[in-house]
Amino acid sequence: MEINATARKKQLKENISGYLFLSPAFIILGLFLFIPTLMSIYYSLTDYYMLTPDKTSFIGLDNFKKLFNDPLMRQSILNIFKFVILIMPIQVGTALGLALLVNNQEKHTIIYKIAYFSPVVMSLVVVSILWLYLLNPSSGLINQVLMKMGFESQPFLSSPNQAMITIVFVSAWQGAGYQMLIFLAGLQNIPNEVYEAATIDGANRWEKFSKITLPMLKPTSILILTTTLIDAFKLIIQPMVMTQGGPLNSTLTPAYYIYRTGFTDRFVGYASAMTVIYGAIIISFTVIQRKIVGGDGDE
Amino acid sequence: MEMNNRLTKLVFNILSIMLALLFIFPLVWMIVSAMKPEAAIFNDMGTLNSFLPSQHISDWFQSYKTIFDRFDIIRYLGNSILYASAVTIGSILINASAGYAFATIDFKFKKVLFGLMIALLVIPAETIMITKFVVVQRLNLINTPFAVILPLLSTPLYIYMFTVFFRAVSKEIQEAAMIEGANKLDIFLKVMLPMSKPAIATVGTLSFIMSWNDYIWPLMVITNSDRYPLQVAITNINNTEPVYINQIMAILTISTIPLIIIYVFFQKYLVQGMGASGTGEK
Repeated sequence: MEINATARKKQLKENISGYLFLSPAFIILGLFLFIPTLMSIYYSLTDYYMLTPDKTSFIGLDNFKKLFNDPLMRQSILNIFKFVILIMPIQVGTALGLALLVNNQEKHTIIYKIAYFSPVVMSLVVVSILWLYLLNPSSGLINQVLMKMGFESQPFLSSPNQAMITIVFVSAWQGAGYQMLIFLAGLQNIPNEVYEAATIDGANRWEKFSKITLPMLKPTSILILTTTLIDAFKLIIQPMVMTQGGPLNSTLTPAYYIYRTGFTDRFVGYASAMTVIYGAIIISFTVIQRKIVGGDGDE
Repeated sequence: MEMNNRLTKLVFNILSIMLALLFIFPLVWMIVSAMKPEAAIFNDMGTLNSFLPSQHISDWFQSYKTIFDRFDIIRYLGNSILYASAVTIGSILINASAGYAFATIDFKFKKVLFGLMIALLVIPAETIMITKFVVVQRLNLINTPFAVILPLLSTPLYIYMFTVFFRAVSKEIQEAAMIEGANKLDIFLKVMLPMSKPAIATVGTLSFIMSWNDYIWPLMVITNSDRYPLQVAITNINNTEPVYINQIMAILTISTIPLIIIYVFFQKYLVQGMGASGTGEK
């Protein structure tokens, strides 16, 4: 009896200290992550308008019906899929290529690393504005060089056909250096003996690459591919700063469309419906990622 | 064979150098364009001179001087430093404290709460910003530094990283401290935190960069330009006539310098952070 009471008292103390240590984080996460998520689901069924929140009424699935017939939503989803499909091979392929080049250099590796990594140190706003000037159709550096080399100058961001692909290249250029470092860490984990053994067996450069390097980089590659995929779905700053979603909505992305609808135009209800649909798409990709990468969560 | 090897090496070297130039030329152009008169930028465009600053040292800081005169850059810098420092310190303390609870304390519903936190990990913060804005509006925090700082103070990923880290600290050290009469707060502040420098460096660096680069959220919640962080101020300056390229490049350079310093000193923790977490949110 006596022992039981002491044990219970001790457990109570453990509970209290546990919750105290946890509370700051859970208050923040509750206010700015959990509650907004629930609110998005709830508001998606209403006509909440930011300037007249008192007049909100429940409208069932009307927002979702409207959403499926919204040409801009369809366009933005098509745009983001174009972006995702292009950036995956371009950025990850570049990162892997850079890592292999650096790994094979005997001298000056640090200089190459710094050069390849240099775009990462700029914020997305800085990168977007910088490239806006570099890509200016008349006076930009890129077009001046193209014309000096005898090519025609290109419209880049001011053409509906070229704008999204330009944003793909700028984004890949910015992000590849960071992933290169992670690939490099993966490459350096491959023991040298494996290559030496293969050399003795008479393997050539290509065989070593395809039979040793690539298979042993598989965990790193999966990690990088999936994070690129999920990050790519969130694209918003580059189109916002460089093209404002244009020309002709060719660079309007879902995240940007949600921002415009919910914040600029203040239709919180309708924007919430977009959030629910688009959030569900991103979450399902994230869950698949976790399944593939594996080993997350409580053990 | 020998000939072949040397040829591949040469090809690889040329490729490496060309790619290095491709990756670094925008940064170089940004820095040197801030260091010459506006007319010289257009004169040099497309020649090798585009990548050299003005020949007269007196020109080098002219555009910096002008942009500091035209706009209150010191204030924007100060705002950004305030936001980023508060986020860095707060995020380390709050996430470490939660990680400490999960790793070492046996409280009721621990499994459930940990599961909830892992579930929150998948919610893309970018998509719920509209309702997050409504929450901040209801809390009357619009246009205050709290609106920018508070949402960044806790991230499920960082709690997870601290939890993993603290689990690895040996039980004996904690028990020894307990016997000496230290309470849980003492153990957290005086034993666990000093031992977790790598985790602190990773979470601190990632938090600082996240806050420094934050753009859309402060753009939404800060309406008074006096409280703009640098990133928002930059786009504002870029849209304020008259726009001069050398001045814009000066402000872009100013915004990048703190990040260069951070990356130089903390680069190794960033890679560790992504590798260890296995989820790698930037």
